[in-house]
Amino acid sequence: MSQFKYISPKTKEEALEILQEKKSDACIVAGCSNVLPNIKNKKINPKLLIDIINIEQLKGIYRKEDKIFLGPITTINELLYSEIIFKEYNVLTQAAEHFADPLVRNNATIGGNLATASPAADMAVPLLTLGAIIKIESIRQKREVKLKEFFLGPGKTVLQDDEMIVGIEFKQSDINKNGYFIKLGQRKAMAIAIASLALNLEIKQNKIIQIRIAMGSVAPMPIRLTGVEEFLRNKEIKNGLIEEAVNKVSEEVNPINDIRASGEYRRYIAGILFKRAFEKLANILID
Amino acid sequence: MKKVEVEFAVNGKKRSLSVKPNDLLINIIRNDLYLTGSKYGCGIGECSACTVLLNGEPVLSCLTLAAAVDGKEITTIEGLAKGNELHPMQIAFLKNAAVQCGFCTPGMILTATALLKENPNPTEDEIRDYIRGNICRCTGYIQIVKAIKECAHGEKTN
Repeated sequence: MSQFKYISPKTKEEALEILQEKKSDACIVAGCSNVLPNIKNKKINPKLLIDIINIEQLKGIYRKEDKIFLGPITTINELLYSEIIFKEYNVLTQAAEHFADPLVRNNATIGGNLATASPAADMAVPLLTLGAIIKIESIRQKREVKLKEFFLGPGKTVLQDDEMIVGIEFKQSDINKNGYFIKLGQRKAMAIAIASLALNLEIKQNKIIQIRIAMGSVAPMPIRLTGVEEFLRNKEIKNGLIEEAVNKVSEEVNPINDIRASGEYRRYIAGILFKRAFEKLANILID
Repeated sequence: MKKVEVEFAVNGKKRSLSVKPNDLLINIIRNDLYLTGSKYGCGIGECSACTVLLNGEPVLSCLTLAAAVDGKEITTIEGLAKGNELHPMQIAFLKNAAVQCGFCTPGMILTATALLKENPNPTEDEIRDYIRGNICRCTGYIQIVKAIKECAHGEKTN
């Protein structure tokens, strides 16, 4: 494996100062579950790893008024076993269940999953339907970016080389309670999604009041399907509506061919995943 | 490359080591501490043969830097038995012939002990889900699941 230096600062400020100095020579790490295989496969070649896993300020899951705050180094297992996430933002619990396996979930962190910016990122998809905001800091500035504007392409985000994710936030709301996550992989464990979908839905008297749909592995980055959302909003659920929406899902996605599946198959399965998720969630909500 | 000083406990014993920043925990455990029970399989977090317990939680030692375990406690398969007395999970694996080539066994047993600590009474589905990342290429899963079930429920087999 290529050589690098390693440092494990105890405070956020210290980490940001080192990052400010080393810029793109440095790589922020926490669980290392993505970074180490990427270094081994020579996809990245950092000269310094800044390990933020011991920074208490970046840990935890808190309620802040009508919002929930996730520290970026919260592990996927911590999310999975969080009572408040289970009750109020269940779509995230479901995605955590599908994530890799219980062992990797002890290492992998929510911030790492986002910063890696894989088009297949399991946690990004439900965070998109929850309307997550990413809090970013550097020595220069603090800023907030909507998750749907955070990804720029495979492995690319709006993060500048002196910036790091310091938090993830989303609002408590009725729609955020009613979510469903579905993932198609080649096997259950460790699978990179062929396609994944998160759906959050609010229905009143058989009418779709609010709907948010996000997908992974069907575009250069995890995406919201705003066209389909627009089409379904304020519509009454009746025969033929979902079939029409399924076609629109297949039209809106923009998948590629890769070793896991062809683009054509992904386009087809995207609609199927939407149909399964919608029917499941609508049934729960209407009952 | 400048070495990093780390201090951690392995199977209850304190160790002080100088490690390279890019040393993986699995290599330090095997090559420096001579605890060769933990296996180096895929090296990229796909097979879980390198499973160890870090502060009681199962993790993959091929995805863990040795430099990052400073101050922590590690349990490897060698740390489960008390002297000559095997851990109940080891006994259950033996009794149920849940070992074929043996390569996955150390990781499998450690993952299984972590499961029972979290969930002392798992269903078969819960067992299969928890060990889903631990690959047995002899595909002896039936005996492995049976062994874990027996260890959890104390079922007797002949």
